[in-house]
Amino acid sequence: MIRSQNGMFGEFGGRFVPEILLPALLELEEMFGRLREDADFWQEYVELTQQFSGRPTPLTPCHRLSEHLGGASIWLKREDLNHSGAHKVNNVLGQGLLVKRLGKKRVIAETGAGQHGLATAIMAARLGLDATIYMGADDIERQYSNVFWMRQLGATVVPVTTGARTLKEAMDEALRDWAASCETTHYVLGTACGPAPFPELVTYFQSVIGIELKDQIQTAIGRMPDAITACVGGGSNAMGVFTPFLEQSEVKLIGVEAGGRSRDDGDHSIRLQPDTAETGIAQGFKTLFLQNQDGQLGHTHSIAAGLDYVGVSPIIAHLHQSGRLTADSASDEQVLDAFKLLMQYEGIIPALESSHALAGGFKAAAEMSADQHLVINLSGRGDKDIFNVARAFPQPEWTAFLQREIDRQNNEPADQSSIAAAEEARHA
Amino acid sequence: MLKSGSPLQVMSHAVVGFPSLEENLRAIDGLVEAGVRMIELQVPFSDPVADGPTLVNACYQALQQGGSVAATLALARQVSTRHPQVTFILMSYLNPLYRYGLEQCFRDAAEAGIRGLIIPDWPVEEVEPMLPLLDELDLSPILMVTPNTSTDRLPRICRASRKMVYVVARMGVTGSATKWDQEFIDYIDRIRSHTKLPLAVGFGIRHAEDLKSLKDKVEVAAVCSRYIEWQDQEGSDAAAANMATLIKDSGLPRLGDS
Repeated sequence: MIRSQNGMFGEFGGRFVPEILLPALLELEEMFGRLREDADFWQEYVELTQQFSGRPTPLTPCHRLSEHLGGASIWLKREDLNHSGAHKVNNVLGQGLLVKRLGKKRVIAETGAGQHGLATAIMAARLGLDATIYMGADDIERQYSNVFWMRQLGATVVPVTTGARTLKEAMDEALRDWAASCETTHYVLGTACGPAPFPELVTYFQSVIGIELKDQIQTAIGRMPDAITACVGGGSNAMGVFTPFLEQSEVKLIGVEAGGRSRDDGDHSIRLQPDTAETGIAQGFKTLFLQNQDGQLGHTHSIAAGLDYVGVSPIIAHLHQSGRLTADSASDEQVLDAFKLLMQYEGIIPALESSHALAGGFKAAAEMSADQHLVINLSGRGDKDIFNVARAFPQPEWTAFLQREIDRQNNEPADQSSIAAAEEARHA
Repeated sequence: MLKSGSPLQVMSHAVVGFPSLEENLRAIDGLVEAGVRMIELQVPFSDPVADGPTLVNACYQALQQGGSVAATLALARQVSTRHPQVTFILMSYLNPLYRYGLEQCFRDAAEAGIRGLIIPDWPVEEVEPMLPLLDELDLSPILMVTPNTSTDRLPRICRASRKMVYVVARMGVTGSATKWDQEFIDYIDRIRSHTKLPLAVGFGIRHAEDLKSLKDKVEVAAVCSRYIEWQDQEGSDAAAANMATLIKDSGLPRLGDS
């Protein structure tokens, strides 16, 4: 398992935060350090994920697709079948157990695609906590259905309008909230980034993915896979599936970043490849950040809001530097092709984030031999992406339907006023 | 810099590049004219996590106007020559300085006439190894103490601080009000029991009443977000006039040029 040295992974990681946040981080670190030595705690966590989120998630062979691509056998680790539709809920349920022990009554979270925000809103509702979710105003536009459900679940969603209005700004704003509220509030950080102990803590909970996979693939093929691919935004699903395989050097670990529209500044979210990110210290930790010569963090783009992030997990940065992790990327276009291919051949609707792992995996599998096995971590399902996908693959009848739906909502004043009343109650 | 027990004085602020690099110079002249003798020069940053909306927006605009580490050092060179009676302090988040090269940055800052450093995301553990260099350069790290800083951390922060300790008055980020109650006085007493250094209080000092409350309790009051608000809403000249009025209304001694 992953162990930092005083919060560092090689030269990355650490805890570079305003003094005001230190007590809360030290309290969390102390508790986490104790609980992870406690086998009963892990058991409690696994049971919760079984009862509430349908774990273990299946390992699905892709016969038709493997045959079509003509290389390695492709398997999918089905994190899309989690409650809330993505791997994010694993970490959130784990942190929920910590919140109970910390005795705090309020949680805050940053979210990009909204999956982490949604998972946090679900956890808060189940545990009876107040939840405030910070989300970039642009991400809200891209993922409105998740915002809708977060609010229905009782969470307050705060649009963040500073800077590029995406995940980076949402994280800044969550840190500002926490500086004022850390004595009563837990920050449910959603990815394996941020100040120590978050990278290690999030990895610990997400490693349930790889632990299950190890058993499942052993049962299915009697050995370890030859390669595993995962998409890398902040890096939590990748760390989750990779961590239990770190010691098995025969298993190739491929992290796929968002190649976006082009390699121009602001057009992609690639941090691990040459001439992209540089080592920096921001948002509480040291890692590879896309930034300019003056150390100002850069802008990013991805078709998938959940990968649109300027930094990367310090653990991933370290694993890449040490050569254990291979970095690849997929462009927006390649991602849509992979998305379509999985739907057509296997009847599974993947998230656009996870479609990066598919694109990287399909490419790798095609170059492998028929007796080899490749596992793709399918981190989330694509229902939330219906509007973005509809724009990428236009269907006139869908647009016409949306117009009719708007007309219907406008023509039902009773419904409108009840929605307005609900909004007002929410703000009260 | 000042001594422990000196009468309260105001420290104010410039975000380098806000509203523009040219106007920084005039704004600083105005602050000095108003009687301010300690001024923070803030390197604008894309992700200022300890700052509230006023400074976040000022940073954003300053970056559009060419604010940077190099621009800050250039400004420091100019203003420290023009105003030798004023203490200029470099305020920055860590990353711009880290990219510049920390050691080089400190050498260049000292050479440009900078006397102190306020770096909110630079924890004491990271400051300590740099102390020999900083002492050699006579560049004083001014570390932050917060209401929730633990009793075992407090002496360590005080020991690593030079010339003064920055007291964050309340939980949260810059730019909104603070109460100066008994709890605050106990907090100040707790810090005094660990250090003989003068104390600078910041976060939430907005009115003459705030300054009056701090008189005889601490040596420095940071009026930063409030001043940037004035600059933003009324322009730098009016902001300087407001600062002069604030100092007068608070009954603070008029600081001479010595």
